Amino acid sequence: MMGSLKDGTGYMKDYMNAENVTFSYEAQEEEETVEVLHGVSLGIQKGEFVALLGHNGSGKSTMAKQFNAMLLPSGGKVYVDGLDTLDEDLKIEIRRRVGLVLQNPDNQLVASIVEEDVAFGPENLGVAPPEIRKRVDEALKAVEMYDYRLHAPYKLSGGQKQRIAIAGIIAMQPDCIVLDEPTAMLDPRGRDEVLETIHRLNREKGITVVLITHYMDEAVGADRVIVMDDGRILTQGTPREVFSQVELLKAHQLDVPQATELIYRLKAAGIPLPDGVLTIEECVAALEPQMNRTER
Amino acid sequence: MVRDITLGQYFPGNSLIHRLDPRMKILLTLAFIVFIFVATNFQGLALMLAMMLLVLLLSGVPLSQYLKSLKAVIFIVAFTFVLNLFYGGGDTVWSQHFPGFTMRITNGGISNAVFVAVRIFSLILFSSVLTFTTSPTQLTDALERLMKPLKVLHVKVHEIAMMMTIALRFVPTLLEETDKIMNAQKARGADLESGGFMQRIKSLIPILIPLFVSSFRRAYDLAMAMECRCYHGGEGRTKMKQLHMSGLDAAAAVCSALFCAAVLYCALRFPAALR
Repeated sequence: MMGSLKDGTGYMKDYMNAENVTFSYEAQEEEETVEVLHGVSLGIQKGEFVALLGHNGSGKSTMAKQFNAMLLPSGGKVYVDGLDTLDEDLKIEIRRRVGLVLQNPDNQLVASIVEEDVAFGPENLGVAPPEIRKRVDEALKAVEMYDYRLHAPYKLSGGQKQRIAIAGIIAMQPDCIVLDEPTAMLDPRGRDEVLETIHRLNREKGITVVLITHYMDEAVGADRVIVMDDGRILTQGTPREVFSQVELLKAHQLDVPQATELIYRLKAAGIPLPDGVLTIEECVAALEPQMNRTER
Repeated sequence: MVRDITLGQYFPGNSLIHRLDPRMKILLTLAFIVFIFVATNFQGLALMLAMMLLVLLLSGVPLSQYLKSLKAVIFIVAFTFVLNLFYGGGDTVWSQHFPGFTMRITNGGISNAVFVAVRIFSLILFSSVLTFTTSPTQLTDALERLMKPLKVLHVKVHEIAMMMTIALRFVPTLLEETDKIMNAQKARGADLESGGFMQRIKSLIPILIPLFVSSFRRAYDLAMAMECRCYHGGEGRTKMKQLHMSGLDAAAAVCSALFCAAVLYCALRFPAALR
């Protein structure tokens, strides 16, 4: 359905692949460098919804920018659809495949009319005008902002602006969207809008999603959770696997979803409860028999 | 709010003038501005004024808006009018002797004064028609296309147009930010309203510095976002909205050409009123 996989080196099954990536920011003065990624290896499959977790300074944003060649590895390699990000000539090809949505919705919109902003990406790619029109309309419908196509972005809410930013990426017809803390500056309603949108895009259009966040609750709906700490991968697996390691996460000053936290504390207090509770619904289901028992 | 004023230049509408291709509008505006200076006698001037009135009425923008735009230059016009009045040649119409010098108004001075005033007003009105009936995006788009031939001279046409687009996009954002910073500084006890001129200028510093810093941060973010969306300059770039010249544009061009020819005829046929 999306652009076909290029039959590159063949042996890679993952759509995006980081192999032992190290990365250092060069400090302005002297030759002093600060290494923020210490050998990260991970693969992301086509159509997958991956949440990349970690607190500030864990290297998760730096990792995100490796995937569309905004930052290049100091050591190791990053492949996107078989393309090496270190190859300068492939930059545009890689960015067409992997779109990056940034944190601040105000700073990533270019034009003063919504539909013209969404058209910016395809225009850069040299797509024919009638085709751009079609893509813009589709992208705006996909994020449910079609009715706002002639509005000025500055009059929209944060969640709406962020959805426009997502539409701007969708219009380039990427295989994958990487979102770098897209909800950090939004109110709870805007956060729900954005999360709902990216889940729908993943489900209905098969777009691979890498969601970088430090809200544990946002990671619950992902296929896979990767937890980063201090430039390394701490643990990864399904949300259930990852969030059952409460002690490990706590030891690295990371939170778990609120429902998991509650069950964890109740269990520590000696109440027999099941493992692997992630959502409020599961939490209610787990607590119900206990409540009934005490009533009787 | 401050925000509403800045983009208020454009009055959305669907009049004949609104529907013209923005490139045609820019060219015609330039032509009219040139022909204001070709008209050197009252016959020509009357023709230009008639044309202008017609355009103003066709634009569908309330005339009061045009009058507002004239307010800004009223002082300059009054000043040059009075000055011209006393510095013309020709027959003396009125004179007054003062010890040491004589003030005199000549008929040449009067016509000079009238001409200069009308010319300045016309300049403002014609350019107002352009900005009132054309959206900023259309304007930058049209300018980019019109300036394309300048590429031969290594003028960075695309870059200039891109800068204009981004500047327009960020005007409301930065105004909002200024508002926020002003409130934040006021909350910290900054006094922005009282004091003399110098005092007030000084009190702007704590507003301008944070605004500057945040603008740079925004610029960095925006550059990154643009790169993420495959921006790599104007090369190989297409546009979603193509500009099309229509029959309406052709008609406007023909009418304007006839009109300018008439003004030119007046300039050659009748003696110049301007000295």
